[in-house]
Amino acid sequence: MSASHHLLRLQCVRCVSHFLGTPVRQVILPGRAHLQTPGSQHIYVQLLRPFHRSAVCSTDRQNRTDIEKLVEDETHHKDKTLVTHDDIFDRAAGDSKTKVEFNRVVDVFKSKDIRRRGHVEFIYAALKKMPEFGVECDVTVYNKLLDVFPKEVFVPQNFIQRMFNHYPRQQECGVQVLEQMENYGVMPNIETKVLLVQIFGEKSHPIRKFQRIMYWFPKFKHTNPYPVPHVLPSDPVDLAQFSLTRIAADLDAKITIYQYPSTDITETGEEITRPHIVGIQSPDQRSLLAKHNPCKPVFVEGPYPLWLRQKCVHYYLLRADPIPPEEKVEEEIDPEMICPEQSLFFPQRVELDLKVDMGDDHSFNVDEVEEGAVYAMCMAGQGDQATLSQWISGLQETCPILGQIPTVFRLESGPRELQTSTDDHQRPEQEAETDQIIEDDEEPRHSRGVKQ
Amino acid sequence: MSLNKFIVLSRSVRRGRNLFAARVAQTGEYLYQFQSQRFIRSSSRSLAYAKDLFLGKVNKKEVFPYPEISNEELEELNQFVQPVEKFFNESVDSAKIDREANIPPETLDGLKELGLFGIQIPEEYGGLGLSNTMYARLGEITSLDGSIAVTLAAHQAIGLKGILIAGTDAQKAKYLPKLATGEHIAAFCLTEPGSGSDAASIQLRATLTEDGKHYLLNGTKFWISNGGWADIMTVFARTEVVDKDGQKKDKITAFIVERAFGGVTSGKPEDKLGIRGSNTTEITFEDTKVPIENVIGEVGDGFKVAMNILNNGRFSMGGAGAGVVKKLIELSAEYAGTRKQFNRRLSEFGMIQDKFATMALNVYVMESMAYLTAGMMDRPGLPDCSLEAAMVKVFSSEGTWICVSEALQVLGGLGFTKNYPYERYLRDCRILQIFEGTNEILRMYVALTGMQHAGKILTGKIKEMKKGNLGVVFEILGKKIKDTVQTADFGLTGKDGVVHPSLTESAKMFEQNAACFGSTVEGLLYRYGKTIVDEQLLLKKVADVLINLYAMTAVLSRSSRSISIGLRNHDHEVLLTNTFCKDAHFKNNYMLSQLQRYSPENDDANIKKIAQDVLAKRAYICSHPLERTF
Repeated sequence: MSASHHLLRLQCVRCVSHFLGTPVRQVILPGRAHLQTPGSQHIYVQLLRPFHRSAVCSTDRQNRTDIEKLVEDETHHKDKTLVTHDDIFDRAAGDSKTKVEFNRVVDVFKSKDIRRRGHVEFIYAALKKMPEFGVECDVTVYNKLLDVFPKEVFVPQNFIQRMFNHYPRQQECGVQVLEQMENYGVMPNIETKVLLVQIFGEKSHPIRKFQRIMYWFPKFKHTNPYPVPHVLPSDPVDLAQFSLTRIAADLDAKITIYQYPSTDITETGEEITRPHIVGIQSPDQRSLLAKHNPCKPVFVEGPYPLWLRQKCVHYYLLRADPIPPEEKVEEEIDPEMICPEQSLFFPQRVELDLKVDMGDDHSFNVDEVEEGAVYAMCMAGQGDQATLSQWISGLQETCPILGQIPTVFRLESGPRELQTSTDDHQRPEQEAETDQIIEDDEEPRHSRGVKQ
Repeated sequence: MSLNKFIVLSRSVRRGRNLFAARVAQTGEYLYQFQSQRFIRSSSRSLAYAKDLFLGKVNKKEVFPYPEISNEELEELNQFVQPVEKFFNESVDSAKIDREANIPPETLDGLKELGLFGIQIPEEYGGLGLSNTMYARLGEITSLDGSIAVTLAAHQAIGLKGILIAGTDAQKAKYLPKLATGEHIAAFCLTEPGSGSDAASIQLRATLTEDGKHYLLNGTKFWISNGGWADIMTVFARTEVVDKDGQKKDKITAFIVERAFGGVTSGKPEDKLGIRGSNTTEITFEDTKVPIENVIGEVGDGFKVAMNILNNGRFSMGGAGAGVVKKLIELSAEYAGTRKQFNRRLSEFGMIQDKFATMALNVYVMESMAYLTAGMMDRPGLPDCSLEAAMVKVFSSEGTWICVSEALQVLGGLGFTKNYPYERYLRDCRILQIFEGTNEILRMYVALTGMQHAGKILTGKIKEMKKGNLGVVFEILGKKIKDTVQTADFGLTGKDGVVHPSLTESAKMFEQNAACFGSTVEGLLYRYGKTIVDEQLLLKKVADVLINLYAMTAVLSRSSRSISIGLRNHDHEVLLTNTFCKDAHFKNNYMLSQLQRYSPENDDANIKKIAQDVLAKRAYICSHPLERTF
């Protein structure tokens, strides 16, 4: 093979077209730099297409499917229209775009022609179509795509070939496959490596790319200290529990499910759906709330978004304004309890008129902005005031002081906005803030929800 | 047993005049000094040994020569020791006590007959009226059974100590006689479920009744030794006190509470790892009516009372630990001498010998520290020995743990079984590191109290220096240069030296460490100022160095005396002293270098980070070695 092979490759387009007697298309083999610009594969797809008929194609007539026909049609009409591989995927799959369909297209392409003519274009097209078929995160599909490359043909045989860029178009295509894997965070496996070695040899660009991926990916795999599982819980209550523990960042925080989602049918035949209400509160928050000055209101705020991979959920806060400095009460501790001369508890103080030496003060000057305390968080099936008041009355069981504190609802209709953003007529309603103070000193708790 | 009583009686007659009179005066004096101690120090004894080490001073007069007791006292003591030893060897079945988690009544009766429930109660109230030194000696024997030792200690070292040191004469006359005979058992009720480092942790509340004659106690106390048996309790409760500004404040007050006052209920005895025979329960007070005469000291002074009780009781743990380890050395040495492996006796193996050397060294140091401290406390005046006592407690509790574990190791698998007492001693002695102030708290106490002491004196100097007062800077620089040129000399050796010449090398090592310690403390204060309280890892090292220094002092002093008066086997003592001092010297050097600025030996930052990482997740966070990423 060697040198003649290389020459052949350079000339292939012209030779083939000449051989077939068809008019020579002006094919420009673009440089590498060009290739690497995103979206550049369109150019090839449009410029180059398989334009001769396969001999293998007709061997197994029984298994012919419509896809094969399609491929064949395409090759038939090669002179008439400019058809790309994109179309094969589109037309082959029709409505059901699944992994099975995708694999079938690839299989058909592979079995069609023993020389795999036009495989680079096919692979580019396939890469582009992968997200549509929902296979962009599947390593086996990538391996299958790589398998489309003919084996051993592009492996450099001597030092000169190794020195120069041997089969650049194919190598770049291989790199592109790996690049897409990288972008989607798909870790190549041993099969990928075997394929790449078979196709491009030990020291090719795709192998280098593979090695780089294998160097970095494992290192980054567990860097996120707060990992989100790939498959989120489908039950909204479970999802709310997961999200709330994630936000709370306090291992002591306790989840309370105030209400499970349920649907009741009343006597009049009306259907009443009760949304789920899941709250979280830590012991620290509880003690802070217990110390809250009952003259000052607390606010129910929200909804705030929380993204979990592709999913967005919303949560609500029970919070207070920061305590103004003049109202802060410093808790005084009996000095004899903390002074160094006592061995009973823990000595916490020395009476010295000395500060940290200048050269030893390694602390940073941090300008701390004081915020109001957050007393609790919740997630609910509905963001309306009635639902959230139920949460507040649930909180009162553990924090009775909440009954004396005026509660202000400052709700924005955030989550609805996402769902109904297409309906323009709802806009004005959304922007109106519901700001209503509920003062209940004598009223029973459960009437609160109705009051609005 | 009646013989013992006879001895007690005859002794009391004999000693009533001389010794006891002095002691009564001492305790009477106590209250006065107790209140004034913060402002006026009695001029007779202002020297404090451990505290002054922080200033780089060695008050050799405090610790040299090693304290001794008079011949008569020794004779009397031995008269007590023999029957007590006999009783513990013959009548106490420790394995049974441990197994059944109960001390049988006949054993308790035996202890009462021996007078062990009133060792330190003055003779006029029917106790033995022994000094701290003698108490420590008896403690060596009683500690042979952990449960009994803890029961006795809870009774008299803390339970009735409040009445003894701060009670009025009427209180003493009312309660001490029955406590001394063991008819009534005492308990010390301080700890509460939420007890921590803040004053608010004591929730048990005493409220004055309307007639102003009684207090009503309401609340719960936890982990009360003797809680199930106690008839008389020293209870600490919050009371409302009007301070001088006219503001109402919660202060802690100590009360004597009789079970007969009503409303006192004890919970189920705790099931513990060790000292299983001792009775540890929860005690609940419900509207317990306590007459105001039963307040110990002043209302609102409870905290000081508690501190004094605890600070003065800790030294005895050194004796107790030494007693246990001495016993175990005998037991395991017998085994090592008879058991043959590979045709050689165990005792011929170097690694086994190493264990015995460790045990002997530890016992020697523990004993020396305990009796040095006890002797200091027995001196007239009001010695400030709380630091020393805390150090004895820390060193001996940890030393005992190591030694018991080594003794067990000599026996190998046999030591692990219940056929031998080792596992029981191991379980029993674990509590030493926990109760009467955990070793962590005591280390903080030792280090910070010393720092405070040194800080007060150094503050002025350091401030001047920071201001840029050249005179002071030159003075300090000159001192530094002098220190580096001259080797440290506190006059322990040489002409007028207090240490025997055969220990010169060890004494030099001690002096060198002591001088370096003083300058290191100064450096720490200069670097951290009052934020030193947050540098717990540094403080731990400071405390460890100080404990080593005190231990070195104790062995130097003791063995010097032993050589001088020619005690039996004093050459062995010299050997132990030199070995220990050398070991401690190098350990101190290492720790002192860790305390220097930018020290490469100091890994504190890493240690903190490791702990923070683990604690943030509350788990060991490393991936399993079999985990993989691809």
